[in-house]
Amino acid sequence: MASTSRLDALPRVTCPNHPDAILVEDYRAGDMICPECGLVVGDRVIDVGSEWRTFSNDKATKDPSRVGDSQNPLLSDGDLSTMIGKGTGAASFDEFGNSKYQNRRTMSSSDRAMMNAFKEITTMADRINLPRNIVDRTNNLFKQVYEQKSLKGRANDAIASACLYIACRQEGVPRTFKEICAVSRISKKEIGRCFKLILKALETSVDLITTGDFMSRFCSNLCLPKQVQMAATHIARKAVELDLVPGRSPISVAAAAIYMASQASAEKKTQKEIGDIAGVADVTIRQSYRLIYPRAPDLFPTDFKFDTPVDKLPQL
Amino acid sequence: MDQNNSLPPYAQGLASPQGAMTPGIPIFSPMMPYGTGLTPQPIQNTSSLSILEEQQRQQQQQQQQQQQQQQQQQQQQQQAAQQSTSQQAAQVASGQAPQIFHSQTLTTAPLPGTTPLYPSPVTPMTPITPATPASESSGIVPQLQNIVSTVNLGCKLDLKTIALRARNAEYNPKRFAAVIMRIREPRTTALIFSSGKMVCTGAKSEEQSRLAARKYARVVQKLGFPAKFLDFKIQNMVGSCDVKFPIRLEGLVLTHQQFSSYEPELFPGLIYRMIKPRIVLLIFVSGKVVLTGAKVRAEIYEAFENIYPILKGFRKTT
Repeated sequence: MASTSRLDALPRVTCPNHPDAILVEDYRAGDMICPECGLVVGDRVIDVGSEWRTFSNDKATKDPSRVGDSQNPLLSDGDLSTMIGKGTGAASFDEFGNSKYQNRRTMSSSDRAMMNAFKEITTMADRINLPRNIVDRTNNLFKQVYEQKSLKGRANDAIASACLYIACRQEGVPRTFKEICAVSRISKKEIGRCFKLILKALETSVDLITTGDFMSRFCSNLCLPKQVQMAATHIARKAVELDLVPGRSPISVAAAAIYMASQASAEKKTQKEIGDIAGVADVTIRQSYRLIYPRAPDLFPTDFKFDTPVDKLPQL
Repeated sequence: MDQNNSLPPYAQGLASPQGAMTPGIPIFSPMMPYGTGLTPQPIQNTSSLSILEEQQRQQQQQQQQQQQQQQQQQQQQQQAAQQSTSQQAAQVASGQAPQIFHSQTLTTAPLPGTTPLYPSPVTPMTPITPATPASESSGIVPQLQNIVSTVNLGCKLDLKTIALRARNAEYNPKRFAAVIMRIREPRTTALIFSSGKMVCTGAKSEEQSRLAARKYARVVQKLGFPAKFLDFKIQNMVGSCDVKFPIRLEGLVLTHQQFSSYEPELFPGLIYRMIKPRIVLLIFVSGKVVLTGAKVRAEIYEAFENIYPILKGFRKTT
């Protein structure tokens, strides 16, 4: 307080020999020191650092050097909130067993909904093991949408789910709408609507999904070996290049390619299993498979080891 | 338009409501204009839309300028014979309209000697719109599939009596607060509300929609309500056509990102929101195009003429 030059009317502590020198604060010793001559000008300055008495064998959960919550100030504006923690010990409960000092709520009343949504986003992302960068991107998107207020009427959960979908897409690891539906309480239709509205509101766009985006995830979930995954990726890419599947969703084409690759290898998966993982109906896989089956020999990579030869692939 | 708001006697049910037509023309010719007759000018630009309009116009300009440069010699000959042009703006011309509707009279109207009822403008050009040479026009005419119109019958209605006494009427107040009535002649469905307002859907042309609305109003009148025919307005027109070649939707969404939305997970077609006539087009891989959101027939034609060169640029080559 003394060394900052906020108002010239305030009495400023200065070194008597060097009135123009800016004092250096040594907060550990509580001193203000003149850098020119080393004179200790003010002492017994209140220490604003952490609690001194931190013993190593104290309860590790309660870090006494934390004087506030570690909330991210970029996201919620002004995290100068204090919460009254849950009471420990008998003295914190009154005669009916209710805790005294109940005022744990009504802090940061603005953006309470935003904090709620962040919690929901973290929960959803946790269910499908999304990394922190996607969650951060989702939070940023949600904050932008929330501040714009153009989608104010929509359920926050729907906007949060759509932001999660967009964040996955923007990071280059798209999740299908059905996968987001699985971890959210919102219907695919509503997520799709919010998705389009958010893209319009934020004036961004996302890249088109390709078959290769989903291969590693689907194949790992089916426990298929790397050879089969690479073969399926190759099949799907060639099928799209040769335009064998016009108008089909890339997810369906990917599922059909996985089916063909797995049927040609030692690890055969049924259409139902693939349909469960990919979120497509098995008749859809059948339809797409019928389209790529005639050109099967051209679609496989050249170095693929066939467990079942191409002409013995199942014909549906 | 219909000046008198009361219904004509139903015995002359086939009388043309406009009465200004040359005799002998059946009312249901698709050539019959229902409105004031002039090609409506595009809607006023709101400031927020003008930037996007400019972008769309520029993109269409680039496409059309490329094509124009290729065929410049033919153009010069034709344009010398035709109207004067301004080659900067490349919007589809109302001046193009007479050429389109010439082809329309050949293909759709059954009458031999009809002059195109869609008027050729006396002044050849409006300053905004240049002439695009005839060789550029697509020759494909979108067909109207559905017209939604509203009319105010001008009196409160008791839906229960209508539902009980009229034929082909259903009324389920728990599900929806209107009577749903259907007639066979122009095959249409009407939603009749207790306030007296009515929505008529399913007609294939403007005249049919108007006729159907009048028939419904007649039915309501016969049931004893003092029905009138106020403020008939067409709210939406849907048309469809086929460009007869497959389309690369992925390419289209890359170049026209601000106007297109293509999400194969959500819908297999590309949704193109055109700014200049405010029309939404659903474009499919097979080459079929659905146009909707128009208030007048010319908007559908104009939108299709705008999108056709763009689609030609994204034709699948295999």
